[in-house]
This record gives sequence, structure tokens and C-alpha cells, in this order.
Amino acid sequence: MTQVAPRRLDTFTLPSEPGNERLALARVAGTVKDLGLSDARLERLKTAVAEATMNAIEHGNGNRPEIPVEVEVTQDGDEIIVAISDQGGHPDTGEHEDPDLVKKLDGDQSPRGWGLFLIRNMVDAMDISTDGQRHTIWLTMRTGGAAHDERM
Amino acid sequence: MTSACEATTRALPGAAVIELSGEVDGSAAAVLTAAYERAVEASPENHDTVVLDFAAVDYINSTGIALIVSVLAKARAERRKVVASGLSPHYREIFDITRLSDFIELFPDLDRAVSQLTHPAA
Repeated sequence: MTQVAPRRLDTFTLPSEPGNERLALARVAGTVKDLGLSDARLERLKTAVAEATMNAIEHGNGNRPEIPVEVEVTQDGDEIIVAISDQGGHPDTGEHEDPDLVKKLDGDQSPRGWGLFLIRNMVDAMDISTDGQRHTIWLTMRTGGAAHDERM
Repeated sequence: MTSACEATTRALPGAAVIELSGEVDGSAAAVLTAAYERAVEASPENHDTVVLDFAAVDYINSTGIALIVSVLAKARAERRKVVASGLSPHYREIFDITRLSDFIELFPDLDRAVSQLTHPAA
């Protein structure tokens, strides 16, 4: 049985400026648009990419434009993998516990802190690696996968 | 490619409507807060319900969700109900995942929200 090597589809960098997550999501969406993701799963991947890029810009690189966020899109079989890297080591996103809407409405938890929660719920797998300086979040979405479609 | 959040408000019998457009993210805080205040202050005795219409919104991120949580918390403290209309299927899913839809009734569009609110028996 022949194994097909992972194929790098795109790699690019963005200045760490608030709002640039929109550039990342648009470019990734354009890169993967013909790979067989349903519209719903493409929307989920776009949200995950935007949230991960926001975290990299804000918490990883401290909104310093001179430090780039790196984005790499790879296809490995039926998996689309988006890797988003910053130079923040192990950034503190402020998300120390899962968001609890009741606690937030009662003022017992900050209204914020939805980013990682959304990412986890949008993609088929989320992994994080850090080597002390470089911090990368890996977002995996299977083409044709249905795990998250069951909610619809 | 980005578009700032804008909000227009109008009063209906029993409801204040806030029609949002553009992007609901962290930069929308002042717009959304001001729109809420404007909407409920216009005629407070008639505004037990606040309708947030998202039909012209093309992007909501986690900080936008936080803003919506803040508006909902404020409305609940003032004993007002919040409903939403015009969300795309993707953002309806996000309202479900975050449990916002447990506290905010969702309508497909503004007309149906208004119809239900102004003619609840229909």
C-alpha cells in the first residue's frame, strides 16, 4: 500500500497586529476551498484559524507587529492541518478554566475566555506544542469528517 | 476587508430592536453598549425585550461573544429578555456550543422575532 507524503499547501506570515486574524482566515479558506470540506466544516475551520491567530497575535507575540505569526497549511491524506506559531513560549490566554456561561452571567467569571474553548469545539483535533520560545497550535480537520456535524 | 460594527435601534411595542452590521469583535464594545443603552432608554416601560438582529453581521469572534455575554448579563440584571435573529447556521451553532441559546431565544429572522414578540399568540 502506497503512503502519500503530507503535502504543504501554503505557508505565510502575518505581522502581529490586532485584526490580522481576518487575513489568516481568508487565506486559509482560499487554500482549502477545493479540498472537500462541507460549508459548515469550512466555517468551523475559519473560526478556529481566526481564534488561534488572535491568540498568537495578542497573547503570544504581545501585539508587536515586528514579530510575525507563522501559518502553515498541510494536507495529509484526508486531514487538513493548519499550524499557527508565535514566539511567546507558552502564552497565558487567561483561560484557566472552561468557560461557564452561568458563572459569567453571575459575574463569577470574566465574560471573556472563549477562544480555546471555541477552537476545541470547531476542529476534529487541536494540539499545542512549545519549545520554550516557539509556540504552535495545530488544528486538524478531516475532509468529509462528520464528528462535529452531529450537533447540527 | 474588515468592516466596523454599526448598530441602529428602533422601538416597537414591547421590544427594543438593535440591528447590527459589520463585525462583532472587541472593537464593537462601545457601539454595542451605546446601542443597548439607547434602545432601552428610549422608552423603558415598553422594552421588556431586547432583540439583537445579526442578519447583516458577517463575523463574530470570541471577544464578540464576550460582548454579547455582557449585554445579556446587563439585561438580565434589569429583568429584560434578550432574543436574537438573523444568525447564520454557523453562528447559531456557536450560540449552542457556548450555551447562549439557553438564555437567548433564536429566531430565523427579524420579522419572525417581531411577529412573535408583538403577537405572541399567533
